Amino acid sequence: MEERSWKTVFKAVALILSLLALAVFQVPDPSFHIVACDVGQGDATLIIYKNSQILVDGGPDSKVLSCLGRHLPFWDREIELVVLTHPDSDHFAGLIEVFEKYKVDNYLYNPLSISKPEYKVLENLGGREGVKQIYPLKGRAVGVGLIRLDILSPSGDGTGTEKNQEAAQEIPDNATNDYSIVSLVSFGKFRMLLTGDMPPAVSDQIAASWNSGPVHYIKTPHHGSKHGMTQNLLKAVMPKLAVISVGKNMYGHPAHEILDMLNLNGIKYLRTDEKGDIEVVSDGEKYWIK
Amino acid sequence: MKHIIWPLLFLLVAVRYFTARPVYQNGDRIRISATVYQNAVKYPSSQFLKIAGLEIYLPKYPEISYGDKLVLEGTVEGRKLKKPQIVSIDKKTSLLPLVRNKIIDFIGEVLPQPESGLLAGILLGAKSQLDPDFYDKTKATGVAHVVVASGTNVTFVVSFLAAALFLFLPRKKAIPFVILGIILYLFIAGFDAPLVRAAIMSSCLFLSQATGRLSNPKRILILAAAGMLIINPQWIADLGFWLSFASTAAILLFRARIHAFLSRVPAVIREDLSTTLSAQIGVTPILFVSFGYFNILSPLINVLVLWTVPPLMLIGALGGVLGLAVPLLGKLVLLTAYPMLWWFTRVVEFFG
Repeated sequence: MEERSWKTVFKAVALILSLLALAVFQVPDPSFHIVACDVGQGDATLIIYKNSQILVDGGPDSKVLSCLGRHLPFWDREIELVVLTHPDSDHFAGLIEVFEKYKVDNYLYNPLSISKPEYKVLENLGGREGVKQIYPLKGRAVGVGLIRLDILSPSGDGTGTEKNQEAAQEIPDNATNDYSIVSLVSFGKFRMLLTGDMPPAVSDQIAASWNSGPVHYIKTPHHGSKHGMTQNLLKAVMPKLAVISVGKNMYGHPAHEILDMLNLNGIKYLRTDEKGDIEVVSDGEKYWIK
Repeated sequence: MKHIIWPLLFLLVAVRYFTARPVYQNGDRIRISATVYQNAVKYPSSQFLKIAGLEIYLPKYPEISYGDKLVLEGTVEGRKLKKPQIVSIDKKTSLLPLVRNKIIDFIGEVLPQPESGLLAGILLGAKSQLDPDFYDKTKATGVAHVVVASGTNVTFVVSFLAAALFLFLPRKKAIPFVILGIILYLFIAGFDAPLVRAAIMSSCLFLSQATGRLSNPKRILILAAAGMLIINPQWIADLGFWLSFASTAAILLFRARIHAFLSRVPAVIREDLSTTLSAQIGVTPILFVSFGYFNILSPLINVLVLWTVPPLMLIGALGGVLGLAVPLLGKLVLLTAYPMLWWFTRVVEFFG
């Protein structure tokens, strides 16, 4: 062969080898990972165990895609479960991009109807063929691989029942937080509480009915707003680590009342606006911050 | 005669600029019907467009892309159209913008971010798919010209087309096809000022080859600038327009000298380095004044990543087009782009 063809063959081989090397390098390890994505002001929590992923909320924009890019192997284009805690822009808007770019197997959300036009876009994508809709019912558990997700709220007072989208309950745009899906995620003995933007009333409700011992990790409700976590909840669930998903905002999140509350209870907290993506890893017994 | 042409051209541009200025006044409520020729710039919660010389910010959805027919209403305030409302939007009526969007979507479905945004940018100048943080880093490192619609895109397309066609056809017969290919690329990628500039110039250079006339690239550059401003005077306020002309002018003026000066530099990087260094002379002042960016390492960073651009365009075009017909095959081809994209993003993130 001529020298030129040899060069081409050499380049093609180098390309394939580097592709394989990167693939080997990105094979997921056998630990449980929780990533609080740095999506600015908003929430996006990525939960990974081997080849299964759960994404809880998508942040306000396409930044969530870069977070998925950073933490998923490059060939994995499937997300086993997407959860939308409640239809506020800083939680759902990024999910539009996720549904467009990834294959989503299951979609857990509250069938609420709000007036924002962007939400209609997401409703259409979430109702696509191939996506299985799951509605939150208090006490319902969803399993993805070895990950278990127990739904604690909404409590089934008319919303979150088995309704189809046409029958979605109409609520005012500013009442969405009350319907936040709150869930307890467990992997082995490791447990974490995901709270969406739940208001103090729901926080106290969950505290009152709590009977399952301390958790390792809490996603601080509502970006650390004072209209979120309550002292009762901290007393009940006794988290070791609190993660605050927050960016630049004009609401004063995280509120100093909440930070004081965490400090007084001796709970270590991490903020995405200070640390970027916050990755916590667990083997099902211990956990550590990466 | 020869001496009259240039002032005359200047006068023509000036007359066009002043007569084409919009006639509406501040506070006027107006309705605009237009076909969008440039892609909307996407921001986290809005998108930005420039139509009829007016800057317009619209909500993020419905997404507006090149080729859409749009009817808008709003109130004029200075250079901005405030309180804009979409009266109607006729999406993707023509074939080529549709092909463009399908290819971009397909790349986004196969590759993760920011690699997919990078490939869409390199292939089609599709800035809309870039992660905003990553885009800022490309600007800070001085490689943004690769990922936004720029002459670099056209230059690589032209080199490919020419190389491929000259294999099968005699030079003179191949040239019309090359020019046709350039125009086709313009229709797919959109009519951004830098692309139009590069398309005009490379077409002129090939035409002069075909007709055997001597051509002077500097003169072609000035004529292209004047011609573009006569057709669309709004480009005078377009940063991409100025960057494109400044970099090309600087390359024409300084590249040969820098190339000679770098005689000791290994041949592998000498070409890219001398092109980049000379282009920097033109664009650095503009970038510094408009963004405050200045990166002394920019030529080095360019050398580190520029070699990936031609193979990435080839793989991207092949995979993207194949993917429209046979998704699985297109996916396999696009995945081979991953190592180079990985390298490119790591370099940008390291220096950014």
